[in-house]
Amino acid sequence: MLEIKNLHARIAEDGTEIIRGLNLTVKAGEVAAIMGPNGSGKSTLSYVLAGREDYEVTEGEILYNGESILEMDPAERAASGIFLAFQYPMEIPGVATMEFLKVAMNAQRKARGEEPLTIPEFLKRVKAAAGTLDMDMAMLKRPLNVGFSGGEKKRAEILQMKLLQPKLCVLDETDSGLDIDALKIVADGVNALRSPDRAIVVITHYQRLLEHIVPDTVHVLYKGQVIKSGDKSLAMELEANGYAGIIEEAA
Amino acid sequence: MNMHAIPQRTSAETALIDAFGERLSLLPGDGEIMVRRDEAIERLKAGLPTKRVESWHYTDLRRLLTAVPQYDGSAKAEVLSPILEGSAVLPVLNGVAATNKLPTLDGVTIQPLAEKLADGSFAAAALDLYGNDDAVGALNTAFVADGYFVDIAAGTELATPLELQNVQAGGQTHVRFPVRIGKGARVTVLERQAGEGTALASSVSQLLVGDDAEVLWLIEQEQADTATHLAQFKASLGKNAKLTLFVMNTGGKLVRQEIIVDAAGEGSVFTLRGVNLLAGDTHTDVTMVLDHSVPHTTSTEVVRYVITDKAQGVFQGRINVAQKAQKTDAKMACNTLLLSDDGEFSVKPELEIFADDVQCGHGATVTEINHDHLFYLMARGVDEKTARGLLVKAFVAEVIEELEDEALVDALEARIETWFATHG
Amino acid sequence: MPAVQETIDQVRKIDVDQYKYGFETEIEMDKAPKGLNEDIIRLISAKKDEPEWMLEWRLGAFRRWMTLEEPKWARVQYPEIDFQDIHYYAAPKSTPGPTSLDEVDPELLRTYEKLGIPLREQEILAGVQKPAASELEEANDNVYKSGRVAVDAVFDSVSVVTTFKKELAQAGVIFCSISEAIREHPELVKKYLGSVVPTTDNYYATLNSAVFTDGSFVFVPKGVRCPMELSTYFRINEKGTGQFERTLIIAEEGSYVSYLEGCTAPQRDENQLHAAVVELIALDDAEIKYSTVQNWYPGDAEGKGGIYNFVTKRGDCRGDRSKISWTQVETGSAITWKYPSCILRGDDSQGEFYSIAVSNGYQQIDSGTKMIHLGKNTTSRVISKGIAAGFSQNTYRGQISAHRKATNARNFTNCDSLLIGDQCGAHTVPYIEAKNSTAQFEHEATTSKISEDQKFYVMQRGIPEEEAIALIVNGFVKDVIQELPMEFAVEAQKLIGISLEGSVG
Repeated sequence: MLEIKNLHARIAEDGTEIIRGLNLTVKAGEVAAIMGPNGSGKSTLSYVLAGREDYEVTEGEILYNGESILEMDPAERAASGIFLAFQYPMEIPGVATMEFLKVAMNAQRKARGEEPLTIPEFLKRVKAAAGTLDMDMAMLKRPLNVGFSGGEKKRAEILQMKLLQPKLCVLDETDSGLDIDALKIVADGVNALRSPDRAIVVITHYQRLLEHIVPDTVHVLYKGQVIKSGDKSLAMELEANGYAGIIEEAA
Repeated sequence: MNMHAIPQRTSAETALIDAFGERLSLLPGDGEIMVRRDEAIERLKAGLPTKRVESWHYTDLRRLLTAVPQYDGSAKAEVLSPILEGSAVLPVLNGVAATNKLPTLDGVTIQPLAEKLADGSFAAAALDLYGNDDAVGALNTAFVADGYFVDIAAGTELATPLELQNVQAGGQTHVRFPVRIGKGARVTVLERQAGEGTALASSVSQLLVGDDAEVLWLIEQEQADTATHLAQFKASLGKNAKLTLFVMNTGGKLVRQEIIVDAAGEGSVFTLRGVNLLAGDTHTDVTMVLDHSVPHTTSTEVVRYVITDKAQGVFQGRINVAQKAQKTDAKMACNTLLLSDDGEFSVKPELEIFADDVQCGHGATVTEINHDHLFYLMARGVDEKTARGLLVKAFVAEVIEELEDEALVDALEARIETWFATHG
Repeated sequence: MPAVQETIDQVRKIDVDQYKYGFETEIEMDKAPKGLNEDIIRLISAKKDEPEWMLEWRLGAFRRWMTLEEPKWARVQYPEIDFQDIHYYAAPKSTPGPTSLDEVDPELLRTYEKLGIPLREQEILAGVQKPAASELEEANDNVYKSGRVAVDAVFDSVSVVTTFKKELAQAGVIFCSISEAIREHPELVKKYLGSVVPTTDNYYATLNSAVFTDGSFVFVPKGVRCPMELSTYFRINEKGTGQFERTLIIAEEGSYVSYLEGCTAPQRDENQLHAAVVELIALDDAEIKYSTVQNWYPGDAEGKGGIYNFVTKRGDCRGDRSKISWTQVETGSAITWKYPSCILRGDDSQGEFYSIAVSNGYQQIDSGTKMIHLGKNTTSRVISKGIAAGFSQNTYRGQISAHRKATNARNFTNCDSLLIGDQCGAHTVPYIEAKNSTAQFEHEATTSKISEDQKFYVMQRGIPEEEAIALIVNGFVKDVIQELPMEFAVEAQKLIGISLEGSVG
């Protein structure tokens, strides 16, 4: 589903190269964990996948279902099924969460040539999804992410993911700032989305989240490259021994 | 300056024009400098600015400047002991540089301005006026007779502060301090404006701050409450230069302190902190114009006023962000405690923004003492007068304590104590 | 991040080419010759069948005007206006006074249909449909319940029709054209006209006093809560005319009225002058809510044409505990010079000003408010949201002052500006004056652009860039939008959306 080949990307403003020849393949139905120390390029990778303009791809290719997405803007990528759950979700003052959900869902439907949702159908879907995440409907009337706690923001991200039904989900440090109860709710939400036609990329610093979202593959990112890949046992090894050993081994 | 025809000159206007005629032959400099002086007096002849001139809206100079004292050559002013012990003092006594007392410092060239104006080595363009409403500049350019030219060499790090001491003895004085600060130099300068008598003082400080230089400049204005003090501080900042300007006004009858700063070098940082303590029947106006001319410059301004008696306070702050000055970060705050029913305060914080990728903001508050705080202190047994005093002092101390130099903080707090002891 | 080049290019194209109200209506007009002198004023007064005192009032203003100079302090630039090159009176020939809609020129009715104004009574009676989207806004309780609006339509200089008069009359509310009020209610007009904005007030107000041709008059008697929204739609149609309307609203003790004003004009390549005066008077415990959606023609993409909008709006909280609230959405006009103000004369009176000003193309807006605190315990609140795009200049200018006797005056002001593109300017010029130690003033202002982080986040959810910007901008102005009556809120949001259409590539 996702194939990244020899990807090089840099910060547009100052030219600092962050991703330096990264290769990664994620198949449909797979949950891939990307781990790495701070500054290894994990978040940059998520931004480059989602098409953030602040980063320039200078070399290599990102294929999604066999086709390059590099020329697509963030909205087009989203409409094609790529979803990024942000590490730090943005606050959008004055825009009610409900309104935002409706605009987003209908924008994606429009891009796919579908009719907009009727209000009752929309409300039904939101209520159902919010219920499974233990979210209060009153919260959804508040401006998006404004004044939300860290846990509420992350839940709102997963709610959006549930409603938009993406094909490729990228979760950037979704566990950061969550207590154990919230972590479980979020992980359950993600696990419920596992399906044979959907790929999930979980970016995380710690193994903790991977106890709840068990990955099929684990990739270690360091200095903008995948330096080691393996199965879930690799995550355990990292937890036990830290990154130093693997970095040395790769060097 | 006023564009409208002035039907009749005020006595102050007449006195200034007459004084120019009398002083002309005594003023140093000729050629280009004389041309500047003539232009300046022409501005004054067109009339002092009234409230119809936007930048003088709250300080109607034509109305407020009721009398102009004569020059008094016989009056004597004494050198004051410096604000900070051990400072190198450059005194100007009753308008004249006291050259017998000049310190010598490595990397610092000091020359009395009268000499420099006379020997032709002073760039006359430095006397040019700022815009068409620059009454302070015009007054000073027309009459400036002395002061110090200070040149601080690149890389100089002064261990001792410089104190520019401008001491009045009544009468008129017009002085100027052109200061060039070389690349990477680090200096602290105290500009002291003090004295006695019914003075009319104009004073202009103009700084060229070199790349990477770091300057702390403190203006301590403690004129007699009969003095008119018209001052201007102008600075242009080089690349990555840092200028912190601290202004403290505790004296004067009619005070206008203008601050004109151009953040002209990328990465430059300007910080303004101000404390204004106003009492009696006085008028104090601090007017700032700050240009962010290039990308990536930063500024913060925090100016506070305490107004008692029949005093009138004015703060005008304008931040201009040029079209190419992307990534400007500018924040301005003005807070005032208006403590008497006869006092007045007017504030005009302006933003003029032509670049889109900026973060600019300003805030202004005019309030009484916070009643909750007052109640809290009184509930702890502090009587009302003491409690009020504590809260007012805390209000200004917050600004002063930002100065990292402990000796300086102590010295300023001592002066504030003195002010409150006299006016509190 | 500087705006991407396409954004800038596209913003240049917005405006104006999309000004959908830019049609002209072919109607026979009755026009005064161009120019301004005492004879023209006599002609206007005669056409309006005015009493002698009104003519004298006008002539007094005209003589005063001849001695005044055009003000130049606002941050707007325009070529000198030739005041002798304007028709000061133009009226559709079907006037005077249709008594029912059937008598109104059908062309006119079509015009209003195009404007989407619910003029026809049956439409109005059917009620304005609550839009479906509002289900999402359950939190917004500010829904106008009745859905009925009484309309006074002013076409060029003349009020052509006023609806719902009978029903309003039953409640004791007078809602008619100012011309009619001068004839039918001279005692009220004499008492209040010019009592808030005197004929000597300022250049444009003085001009208006001399030459105003029509406008609306509202009188709400003691204790009456006006049973429906009152609305006036102003349209400049005829070439080379100025529009000088005069609105006077009086709310007697304990009464309430909500009044809406909408404005449009056809596309023309010359500039047209609009200089209105609005006076509001609120007596003890009365409340007036005045909302404006101003969408005069802004000029074309090169800045050619457009309306010069020089307006004096002032409310007098004359009574204790009275309240006046101004809400404005300004998206049109080449030049806007407008400062709806409140004189807080009564003790415990309240003034509010909520404003959205969107400028684009070569538009120049210099707008804001004055809150003059005179009475005791008076409070005012100012929320201003400016959005500048294209080559426009957008200035907030405001004055907050507390006089000596205004003990416990309170003001809170918040003005935020948003810049789209780097060819435009946003300016904030507040004047804050306290002459009372018990005054508490708080002022805050910010200027920024739409954050790239926000835009990226919204787009990542599949919302295209243009819609993403509209969504964020509508969030930015939310605090003001929710002050508008429901029908206007929807219209205003759409209008903001339209002015941002095509703003990105």
